[in-house]
Amino acid sequence: MNAYFTRTLTLLFILTLSFARPVQAQRFLIPDEAIMQYAGSIGYFSVGGGYELFKNKRGNLDINYGYVPESKGGELHIVTAKFAYRPFVIKISDWAKIYPFNPGVFVTYTFHKDLSFNFPSETYPKGYYYWSEAIRPHLSISNEFQFVGEEVLKKTGLKAVSIYSEFNTNDFYLVNYFQNSTALKITDIFKVGIGLRVKF
Amino acid sequence: MGCNSFEYSPNQVFNQNSLKDLNAAALKKLTAATPKNDTIKVVLAGDTQRSYNEIPGLVKKVNSIDNLDLVLVAGDISEFGTLQEMDWYAKRLLEVNVPVITVIGNHDLVARGNEVYQRMFGELNFSFVYRGIKFVCHDTNSREYNFNGKVPDMEWLSKEMQPQQGVNGFIAVSHVPPFSLDFDQKLIDPYTKLFSQTDHFLASLHGHTHVYSAGPYKNSAFPYLVTGSAETSEFILVKIINDQLTYERIFY
Repeated sequence: MNAYFTRTLTLLFILTLSFARPVQAQRFLIPDEAIMQYAGSIGYFSVGGGYELFKNKRGNLDINYGYVPESKGGELHIVTAKFAYRPFVIKISDWAKIYPFNPGVFVTYTFHKDLSFNFPSETYPKGYYYWSEAIRPHLSISNEFQFVGEEVLKKTGLKAVSIYSEFNTNDFYLVNYFQNSTALKITDIFKVGIGLRVKF
Repeated sequence: MGCNSFEYSPNQVFNQNSLKDLNAAALKKLTAATPKNDTIKVVLAGDTQRSYNEIPGLVKKVNSIDNLDLVLVAGDISEFGTLQEMDWYAKRLLEVNVPVITVIGNHDLVARGNEVYQRMFGELNFSFVYRGIKFVCHDTNSREYNFNGKVPDMEWLSKEMQPQQGVNGFIAVSHVPPFSLDFDQKLIDPYTKLFSQTDHFLASLHGHTHVYSAGPYKNSAFPYLVTGSAETSEFILVKIINDQLTYERIFY
């Protein structure tokens, strides 16, 4: 992935988000990172922008758009908002760090004609189905391997490049797990995604 | 962790490992089976949602029944209509030694469950004849269609209940019984009348209420059998000898 691609992606993202906003707000809205992810329950692939949070920059807020093609499980469009925190860091060298255990939460909204925000009250008595089909809350744990160093990445215009894997589960799977802790293993309910995070 | 761990969405309809056309496979196995004796033995189970702990007990008990012909599961094999839940169910039911037929329940229709079910199991309305008995499996989950008058499909059902060569008994199999508020109230009369007017109609089999009940409804000459759920670890064993039907509630 080259710098032009990440810049273009970011620019598109910003333009949609902050059209006709004051300059100050625009600067605030520019993501610190561009993200690409494969699987992980938010699309066959997804792309998005990430923001570093807090003074120590250990917090992450990511907004992703994901797509599942017809051939990979039926077409879906998914918007995801993720929050995660990186409490631990292992410095391997001047140019490499590992964030081994990053807990987080994320929420997905899936756009599909059969997935409603609410079950319609004219059809179902109150509490008949107690969940939303379109909104899914998830728990996540990720680990991240980060290449840092202005020297190495200078020519690309990037500050850091990370690869990560993220394990997640959701309310549906947790309900089943808690009621069937002998039949279902924790590995049955956690799903994996892998991704690339580019900081600029 | 297998390839299934790379999930694209909890709402995806299939993945590269998901099972397909299980009802068709079960029927093929059933047709190929040689009759065991004069008695047809059928298990009616249902409502296995959120009960994966209990399924091995069900499988073990079912496999211990001598000369069993068939297992019918009357719907609600998932809570949220997801691929993952139906997959957990289907893989466990593969351990049953006899063919297993799965009928659609209301919970299996939420979200994209309809599509998941159709790919993994098959049509929502279907029938088959086994040793002179016609099993008419169908969708009675009227509330999921906002009581549009088309579920259950009366036109399809009346065709299925026509006298047929080689058929000397009819059994209906569906999730929601006609005495539930989730059944289209406009269709209770035509539905129950159709069954009563069908010659050699033996029984109507259901789940949904999670509470065992068995007996006539609206003065029917045949029983409506409703099995308890997997949560209470029970099913109904139905026996047909010389076109006479008997039943027994069994716990595991």
